[in-house]
Amino acid sequence: MEITEEKVVAVILVGGPTKGTRFRPLSFNTPEPLFPLAGQPMVHHPISACKRIPNLVQVFLVGFYEEREFALYVSSVSNELRVPVRYLKEDKPHGSAGSLYYFRDKIMEESPTHIFLLNFDVCCNFPLPNMLEAHKMHGGIGTLLVIKVSAESANQFGELVADPITKELLHYTEKPETFVSDLINCGVYVFTPKIFSVIQEVFLLREDRVLLHLIMWLLDLSFRSLPSDFVRLDQDILSPLAGKKQLYTYETTDFWEQIKTPGMSIKCSALYLAQFRFTSPHLLVNGDGKRKATVVGDVYIHPSAKVHPTAKIGPNVSISANVRVAAGVRLMNCIVLDDVEIKENAVVMHAIVGWKSSLGRWSRVQADGDYNSKLGITILGESVTVEDEVVVINSIVLPNKMLNVSVQEEIIL
Amino acid sequence: MKALILVGGFGTRLRPLTLSVPKPLVEFANKPMILHQIEALKAIGVTEVVLAINYQPEVMLNFLKDFEAKLEIKITCSQETEPLGTAGPLALARDKLIDDSGEPFFVLNSDVISEYPLKEMIEFHKSHGGEASIMVTKVDEPSKYGVVVMEETTGQVERFVEKPKLFVGNKINAGIYLLNPSVLDRIELRPTSIEKEVFPKIAAEKKLYAMVLPGFWMDIGQPRDYITGLRLYLDSLRKKSSPKLACGTHIIGNVLVDESAKIGEGCLIGPDVAIGPGCVVESGVRLSRCTVMRGVRIKKHACISSSIIGWHSTVGQWARVENMTILGEDVHVGDEIYSNGGVVLPHKEIKSSILKPEIVM
Repeated sequence: MEITEEKVVAVILVGGPTKGTRFRPLSFNTPEPLFPLAGQPMVHHPISACKRIPNLVQVFLVGFYEEREFALYVSSVSNELRVPVRYLKEDKPHGSAGSLYYFRDKIMEESPTHIFLLNFDVCCNFPLPNMLEAHKMHGGIGTLLVIKVSAESANQFGELVADPITKELLHYTEKPETFVSDLINCGVYVFTPKIFSVIQEVFLLREDRVLLHLIMWLLDLSFRSLPSDFVRLDQDILSPLAGKKQLYTYETTDFWEQIKTPGMSIKCSALYLAQFRFTSPHLLVNGDGKRKATVVGDVYIHPSAKVHPTAKIGPNVSISANVRVAAGVRLMNCIVLDDVEIKENAVVMHAIVGWKSSLGRWSRVQADGDYNSKLGITILGESVTVEDEVVVINSIVLPNKMLNVSVQEEIIL
Repeated sequence: MKALILVGGFGTRLRPLTLSVPKPLVEFANKPMILHQIEALKAIGVTEVVLAINYQPEVMLNFLKDFEAKLEIKITCSQETEPLGTAGPLALARDKLIDDSGEPFFVLNSDVISEYPLKEMIEFHKSHGGEASIMVTKVDEPSKYGVVVMEETTGQVERFVEKPKLFVGNKINAGIYLLNPSVLDRIELRPTSIEKEVFPKIAAEKKLYAMVLPGFWMDIGQPRDYITGLRLYLDSLRKKSSPKLACGTHIIGNVLVDESAKIGEGCLIGPDVAIGPGCVVESGVRLSRCTVMRGVRIKKHACISSSIIGWHSTVGQWARVENMTILGEDVHVGDEIYSNGGVVLPHKEIKSSILKPEIVM
């Protein structure tokens, strides 16, 4: 029996500050991938999932944020999970496939047999070991994680058709105008190293086109093209390779969401907290403590946070480091970030309370909880002060604002 | 001395409270509105009060029976079968108002709350020797009301101008009159207006005099003015150093708490709050600018401002009730609910937040 040494690496694409604008006002000082969901940085969830892959040797975070923004996190997570995690900074955006290709030498350093590629803004249970098994069974260059969604929402994603028996990817269209399929791309892939030669072919083709571009420019003909080193995985690799017995799919029936807006982070926080019941029950507060606050449903409270015993917390609440929650406070479906102070009898529902903010006595920060509407979750940026008895409903408040009158359905600049 | 109180009809402006109780019986500062007037009348020696009413006289009389004995004052009703305006009810009650004494009688509008300087009014009436005296009050926006144009030094009324576009004066009719019995001879038994038809004629004969009302005045016929009126009324109690006002570290400003009401730990109450009999206010509750009627329970950590909580209602834990929310009788606001200006009819349960002012049927 032949023994081949299997080695797996994972690459998580974290994007950069220009992509993070959709996460304002929470991304002014914190990169979106480090925004906490269920008390852990967003990117921590896929990294923890990678830890469950057999023979994992290395995790790479690839993006164009400054290195110092990730330095602290990368070193602490490496220690915590006992897996080397490295941050690789791109000089500019290269597209999802381009980024992978740009760092091909580093990724291939340890000669991995399989490479996982994950988008950081995906929230799911990451069934990575199962995907790997499925991939080995199918063969080919790669396997995509896919999920069935409602026909109405599918067009926001990459729609695809897979063979029901062989699971081969037969057709792929990114964000089509007309309905193609209710099966969509989850943004989680496993590839063999052959993927690099596929990307390279696209590069070479592009270079030819650049030459063509130059000729046409000389002939004064207009011609639009992308930079030659920008290669997207979806349009440039998945679409052309579909139906060529190179790519396969693995369907998950568990939860999956894309974290496109700050509001979605509350929903995703709930999904991760629910998952903790099975994966990390020690992170959830158990409500049986006698001198502790009343807890309803899934709640994460950082050990350094102080919560008064008369407070009532949950469901779906994440309380970060050094938060102080005073007597008679009610928190529900919310994320409370570091160093926030919540004074007596305040109420927070369907909201995100930014770092170092302060909520006065009997103040109320609330929203209707519609994750899909622009103001469906109330968001307070960093260092926002809500004075005693003030009500903030369905609003977004930018950092360093002081609210002394109630507001409803407003964006406070 | 006798007095007529113009009670009128259904009190629709004060719904949903008046769906449960006739308007004069709705408590204001922990006392039915009409008792404020009856007590003031009793204090200056009025022995008989006639209520001009066109709706539910039995309910009123039943209720007032106890007070008749307690205050030693006779209370009767004069029921209109059709609305008779502001003067017609006087003609209807003519027989009840006229006796052998020939003394003048008071006419009060039941929607009005003030300090009722009725003694001063009697003196004023005697001093000018005219046929009728009316109380006037100064307002900021006279164009909304009927302005009384008067000779400032004597108080002799020259004319009435309804909703003037140009400034003619800033004193308006406060709805408190002292009339000689002869005035009744000027009123026919038909729907008619005292301001438009009766007073102008008396004024033309230079027999109508106006006295400027000292202190506050408010028409509390609708919720917003009811809440403002409570502030003015409590302010005047404060000026008189009334022992009725609550004190303590949990009290801010002027607050009335019925002695049978229970207040929990860590509450902050005031300013301008009235808490009725049998109410339970649990711990950590915040109340400001509101009236809490008899038998209400406010659960822990709730916060109520600028609102009226109707009889036997409950407000849930961490609920927020504000901005002219009016809860009718027996309304139950669930835990953590927010009501921004919800007007809720009696016997309802509120299970989802009311984010913008609306009526809940």
